[in-house]
Order: sequence, then C-alpha cells, then structure tokens
Amino acid sequence: MRRGSIVRITIYGVIAGTLASLVAVLVPWLPTSASEEMDRIEFTFWFTTVICIGIFAIVAAAIAYSVLKFRAADDDERDGPPIHGHTGLEIVWTAIPAVLVTAISVVSAVVLAKNDDVGANPLRIAVTAQQFAWRFEYPDETTSGSLVLPIDQPVKLTLRSLDVIHSFWVPEFGQKSDAVPGIETTLVITPTRIGSYSLLCTELCGLGHATMRAQVQVVDRADYEAFLERAASGDGAPAGADDGEAVFATAGCGGCHAFEPAGTDAAVGPSLDEIDGDEAFIRESIVDPNAVLAQGYQGGVMPNTYDKSLTDEQLDALVQYLSDGQGGN
Amino acid sequence: MTELVHSAYDSHHAPAVPPPRGLARLRAPGYLRAAWTTLLFWAFGFGLVAFFRWLAHYDPVVDWTIVTVVAFLTLAPLGFLTGIGAFDYWAYYVSGRPTRPEDHSSHGATSWKDYFRVNTDHKVIGVQYLVTTFFFFVIGGLMAMIFRAELAKPDLQFVDTQTFNGLISEHAALMIFLFIIPAFAGLANFAVPLMLGAPDMAFPRLNALSFWLLPIAGLMFLAAFLVPGGAFATGWTSYAPLASDQPLGQVFFNMGVQWAGASSIMTALNFLVTIITMRAPGMTFWRMPLLVWANFTTSLLVVIATPFIAGSQFFVMFDRIMHTNFFRVDEGGYALGYQHIFWFYSHPAVYIMMLPGFGIISEVIAVFSRKPIFGYRLMALSLMGILVLGFSVWAHHMFVAGMAPWLRVPMMVTSMIIAVPTGIKIFSWLATMWEGRIHLRTPMLFALGFLSMFVLGGLSGIFLASVPIDIAASDTYFIVAHIHYVLFGGSVFTIFAGVYYWFPKMTGRMYNERLGKLHFWLTFIGFNGTFFPMHWVGLQGMPRRVSDYSEQFGNWNMVVSLFSFLLGASTIIFFYNVIQSWHRGPIAPGNPWRALTLEWQVSSPPPVFNFDEIPQVVAGPYEYGIPGARHAVLNGGHAPVVADAVHEEARR
Repeated sequence: MRRGSIVRITIYGVIAGTLASLVAVLVPWLPTSASEEMDRIEFTFWFTTVICIGIFAIVAAAIAYSVLKFRAADDDERDGPPIHGHTGLEIVWTAIPAVLVTAISVVSAVVLAKNDDVGANPLRIAVTAQQFAWRFEYPDETTSGSLVLPIDQPVKLTLRSLDVIHSFWVPEFGQKSDAVPGIETTLVITPTRIGSYSLLCTELCGLGHATMRAQVQVVDRADYEAFLERAASGDGAPAGADDGEAVFATAGCGGCHAFEPAGTDAAVGPSLDEIDGDEAFIRESIVDPNAVLAQGYQGGVMPNTYDKSLTDEQLDALVQYLSDGQGGN
Repeated sequence: MTELVHSAYDSHHAPAVPPPRGLARLRAPGYLRAAWTTLLFWAFGFGLVAFFRWLAHYDPVVDWTIVTVVAFLTLAPLGFLTGIGAFDYWAYYVSGRPTRPEDHSSHGATSWKDYFRVNTDHKVIGVQYLVTTFFFFVIGGLMAMIFRAELAKPDLQFVDTQTFNGLISEHAALMIFLFIIPAFAGLANFAVPLMLGAPDMAFPRLNALSFWLLPIAGLMFLAAFLVPGGAFATGWTSYAPLASDQPLGQVFFNMGVQWAGASSIMTALNFLVTIITMRAPGMTFWRMPLLVWANFTTSLLVVIATPFIAGSQFFVMFDRIMHTNFFRVDEGGYALGYQHIFWFYSHPAVYIMMLPGFGIISEVIAVFSRKPIFGYRLMALSLMGILVLGFSVWAHHMFVAGMAPWLRVPMMVTSMIIAVPTGIKIFSWLATMWEGRIHLRTPMLFALGFLSMFVLGGLSGIFLASVPIDIAASDTYFIVAHIHYVLFGGSVFTIFAGVYYWFPKMTGRMYNERLGKLHFWLTFIGFNGTFFPMHWVGLQGMPRRVSDYSEQFGNWNMVVSLFSFLLGASTIIFFYNVIQSWHRGPIAPGNPWRALTLEWQVSSPPPVFNFDEIPQVVAGPYEYGIPGARHAVLNGGHAPVVADAVHEEARR
C-alpha cells in the first residue's frame, strides 16, 4: 500500500467518524437522566458508542475508498489480482473485535451488578399491573394509582401481574422489567431529579396497551410523607362520588371507555355515558364483563379480575359514580 | 453417483400422457379436482368434529373454534394439496398400485400456465417461490403503509386499536414467514442445484410439496382478517398468556406457522441431502460456492430450530382448545416457558434470515470486484461459527422478561461473541473489494447498500447485547429500528441483490440497469429516512406496538411516515422493471457477468435438466485474476488449466 492511499483512506475515515460523532452529539439520543441507574446506563451507552463509531468509520472509509479508487470502466474486462487471503490480517480482524466486545461486556456486567444492587435499606413498593392500569402499594399498605418516590432513596419495586405480561418503564429512570403473571420480578431505582414522569407499559398487553400509563413523581422527603398521609386518609373515608372518580381513574377504566364526567373518550370498549341498565347491571358488567356484551363488542377483552383487584367499597363507589353519570336517568 | 445422475437425464423417459378430457378432468390433478377434494376434506373434518362431540354429549355439537382448526386449517388445505396432485405419486406407491413411469410432464415450464401447477423442476419452483413471496411482500408492505399513516400523528385517525394491532402482527408474520425466509429458499432453490452441477434437487416431489404449503400458510394468515374479532393482534411474537385468550384470529397464526414451518423444514432437508450427495465430480466442500455453504448452514439451523416454534404455537393452541395448561398461570402453567421455547427458534431464525443473504453477497462481491473471495475458508467457517453460537444466545431477547437473573451475563457474552464471525465476514468482503475492478451494477449497489446498512444493524445489535443498555431499549422503537436495519437493510437488500443478479439466468432476459439503480437509490434513501430516526425516538421513550403515543414524538413520526411512503413507492419501480424486462427485455447471454460458478456456464435460462453432460469441477469457484482459470469443465472439453496449480503458483 502506497503512502498516498494510506493518507486518503485515513481522511475518509476521519470524515466518516466526524459525521457519525456529530449525529451522536447533536441528536438527543437519551432522555435526561433522573436516576442513578440511568446515569450508569448512559455511561455504558456512550462507551459503546465511541467504539462503534470507530468501527463504522473504518468500514465506511473502506467502502468509500474502494468504490472511488477501484471502480472499473464498463468495458474494462480485466480482473483484479488473485489475492486469496492473508492469515495475519485475518487474525487481526478476528482478535480486535473480540477484544472490543469483551471490553463492552465487562463494562456492561459491572454496570448491571451495580444497577441490581439496592443497598441495605431500600424503600419497598409493590407494583400490581393489570389490563390496563397500574397500582402501587406503599410500605404502610397505602395504595395509589400514581407512583410517588422520595428523591435519593433507593427503591425496590416488586412487580406482579394479575392477567397477562406487562412491562414497567419510565424512560428517565432507564430501568425496565416485565410484570409476569405467576412470578414476582424486581426492579431497583434510585431517583435523583425532582419532577413528573410517565410510566409506560412496554409489553403489548391487549387493546388498551398504548394507554396503559401512570403518573410518576419524584418529590423531596417532606412531600413524600405528606403524600402518604393524604393517600392513607383518603382510603378510609366514606364512599362517595368523589371516590368513585378516583377509582375510575386508578383502575384504568378510561383507557378503554368513554365517560364524559371523567373526561375520557377512548373507544376500545363501549361508551359508559348511556348505560342501558340499573346499578346491579353495572356491577355485574364490571365483575363479570362477559356476562352481557354490548352490541358490536367482543367478549374476552375486558379483564374479569375486578372483583379481586377492587375492594367492596371501591366497587360500590365506582358503581355509584357510573350510575350518577347517566344523563338519561 | 455418476450413474444416478446419468439415469436422470437420458433413460426412463416415458412418453407424455395426453391431457384428459370431459369428466376425466375431475379426476386428473389440477384446480378442478382441488375444488371438490378441498370441499370433501373440509366436510370430513366437520363431520369428524360433530360426530365425536355428539358421541361425547358435548354442547354445542358444532363448536366453530374446533371446526376452524380441524376442518378449515388442517383438512381443507390437505384436500387442496391432494387435489392439485402434490401427493399423487406417493399415493400410488403407498396404495400398492403401479407407480406411473416418470414422463417428466410435471418437469420444466413451457408456458406461464406451468407455473401454476405442481412442478418438480427446481428452477420452476424457485420462480414460483419468488413470485409468491413477492406477492406477500407487497401485501405486508401495504399493511405497513396503513399503520404508518396511522402513526404519522398522535391519537387514532384511520384505524381502531384492534385493527392496528392486527396490522402490525400481520405485517411481521407475512414479512418473516412468507417473504424473507421463503424468498431465500426460492433463490437457493433456483441456484443451488445449478451451482452444484446437479440436474435437480435430491427430492423433486418433496420440493414441489414444500412450495405448495407456502401459499396455504399465507392465505391462512390473511384469512384471519375475515373471522369475528379480527386478525391475530398480539405481535408476531404472540406471547402467552395474552395469546391464549384472544379472539379466533389467533388460531390462524398458530396454524399458519405450522404450514410455513413444515415448508421450511422439508426444503431444508432437501437442501442438505442435495448438497451432501449431489455435488458434481470434483466439487469438494472446499470448492463449493459460498452461497451453497450459506444454504447448508441455514438448512441445519432450520431443521434443528423450526420444530421449537411449531411446538410453541401448538402449546398455545392446545391451551385454548384442549384445555391443557402449558402457559395458563391460574392452572399451574409457566408464562415464561413460552418465551424460552419461542426464542430458541426465533433467535436462530434471525440467522435463517441472514446467512443465505451472506451467501448472495459473497457471490455478487466476488463477481463484480473481479477478485477471489478473501479468506474463503474462514468465510465458510464463520458461517459454521454463527450456526453454533446462534443456539446459545436466545435469552438476550428476555433480559427484562423476569427470567433467572444469572442467565443474563452469559447470554450477553455469547451474543457479543457473535459479532466476531460476523465481523470476519464484513472485513473479508471489504478486502475482496480491495484492489479489485469494481463494476457498480445494480446487484453490486445492493450488496454495498447491504454492507453499510448491515454494519449499522450489527452495531445497534452490540448496544442491545449489553444488558444495561438493553434494559432501557427493550420493547421500544430502538428495537424496531434494529430489526429493520438487520432484516431490511440486511436481508431484503440481499434478496434484491440476488433477484437482480440471477434475473438474466431465471428469465433469459436482462433487466433495465437504469431503473435498477434508481430503485436502489430510492430504497436506500427511503429506508434510512424511515428507520434511522426510530433509534432515538425509541430511546427517548416511545414503546413499540402502540397505536397512540406521546405528543413529543409527533414530528419525528411524521418524518418516518413520509420516508416510509417513499420506501413503499420505490418498490413500484422494481416491479415495473421486473415485469417489463421479463416480458420484453433484451435477450440475456449465458454469462452476462463473466462469472465462474456453474450456473453461468449454461444457457439462460438453463436447459430443463440443467447440464447436457455432467460437469467436472477442477478448482475453487472464485479464481478471478488467474488467466484461463476455470471452476469447472463442461461439454467434454479438456481441462485447459489446472487452476489449483496456478493458484499454488500465485500463492508463492
């Protein structure tokens, strides 16, 4: 190889590498981190990116150089030199990638071990997923439809599912785990930034999958305690229309049903604005949704687990709320 | 060996039987007979279900779910296959009647009608495969156009959620099981026997049967749209337990996979036997073209892995119709078991969809660079390396699934190591081009497009192999981007390269070079515009398989959708070019690319039995640059140069 061609191919490589680096830097690839775990994931991500940009630059330069330099005229019938291989080169491009992927593996394994380690005194929160809603149970047995976490406190989430597989993901936290029926999975998160985030279900779980979201808030310690107090007192209050509204929201009814008082307009299941039946019918339709099907809708879509997942009081409140919301009566 | 090949050419040719007339046409193999046998078999299935349910006092006697599985999805297709004559020879043999002497009436094609019959000629079957698979490519692509239109803006505009989920599931199922896997089988069907110097595949009747299972599987997938509740809507992965309780359409996926899988397995067996036993004299394993090597390894993957997906789909269906409890958690089933079995097939399936493409690229790059493949033996060995490693990485699809935590690091390491044999292939192709005389014809453009895009797909694969990054990226659009860089930028580009490369050999006519290049550039631009932004859209927080998404991703999704329409439109040029050129393109010479492999040493299209005389292979397939070098000697010519000797000379 002549010196001129080495210079040229190096220039191509630098150009390709620079372009790739610009794409890496200018595009917002990752959400702004809000947890220690995401910080480490970011580190792994950029570590891998640097190596990959190098490989990309080499390949791109080789293709560009070959196409520009070795292109033959259409009527050129000559062949290239009969080079069948080069053992040294072949060893090099076996060994170097092996070393690079080993390096990425080691970094990844260390980061994984750190991200799995929750420390001595984690806050334990039980997460229950079902079509198409999330429920959170705090150590003092308070339950809520939104997740509130104190800042800088390692949290160990225990995930369960009542029906099919769901997946817990808050992009800013990085961590993700499926909630699988029949087994318990865990997830470690240490929030580092106060703010409001979205919890998304990332495993296709049925018709309401895209709307299976919940609000996540990271707050300081005092606000967290205040939240727990509020949630606990709300739980013990007598059942009323307000509670029904809360149950409607936390049970995820709005993910599939339109109901004007709650301001939802989803069309996966029948609208709840004009229910053709009394309170007993409404109750039956919630607990055993396949008993009577609305015209034009399939059975087997709505979960039949609400008699288990809702308390009697919550069910009463929800039935009351839906019944009160009927315009015609 | 030699004698066996000889007999196929020139003896035992019985005179052709005249075509049947009148009522006899109802008994002769064909669509007329298929019409009544399909009905008959269906009625038999229906009666079977009704009779046994009546006998057992089950209510209702006619359970349509079971009738669907038994009568519509199992017996009616068998009736159709019987009717068109896929089983005739074996039926005669099994029933003890004298088998009819082979008159070769079902071999080769003289008119377009012959392509719609059971045909035992591997070249006809290859074309049948390709036309069928491209038909489903169009259908699957149109589905993508519909859901990309839906996704252009947040909220629902055109379709409801059930339809959306059905479309994404059908799109993937068709593209994987009815396009990429069988399109490679079609190209290999055409090329492999020719490249080996064989007159046909080892089992031509089995080969015909394998093909005819394919349209059945495809129509089964499509028919799911017609049943109450709509098409299967759980993604192509169809995870249990969600898939266990879906409307009836799910069963069409469970059963469609069986038909497509059976087709795959039988073809793979056929390739293995053909490659092992039907190589021309002198064609040692180390003289086989890399396309043959690639299909050898792919076929091994298919026969070992495909039964697992067949099993996984049967289990889900049994849970539904037989009340077994493989994956039903309430009854003691194990939900994660499905994923382990499914991915034990579906990860090797990625290589089933990639290795044949590697083979095509090796042919194209060597021929259009006019140089021998760099490191030929290591190229073949790296295929075998990928084959072995491919079975040890399945759980990298399950890093967030809740499986045993200890499995994650070992599976990460094996997944990373696969980058090594893959890297060897990439670098060897680059070295093959080095100092070559590169002709940028359309197949070569697609090969270069493949090289660059597949590198990007491979690199995003490294991100996904790393467990911490995968935990963040899993089930997001980053995955969608990765899979399309691998399966579109990888597999589909190689299929296009292969179709353009062998088009003159298959049709006897040249395609239009300018349209071919235009097709490439539009595809390349449309492809990158569609799939590249998905990387960051996913990492920032857009999950895959959602019909509705957060406002913040609206702009990028609009960009993606617009480019996807360009990508869709680019295939119109391809189809125009192919149809127009097949019809009235310039007549192709036998060897327009001046290639050395055997398929180019015969006329275009090749004679019915490929070679008038058994070729004698004298050297490796890629001896470009050695004056007078030949891969094989045909037509009784004297071996002009013992190229191996020259080759040794060149090495010194």
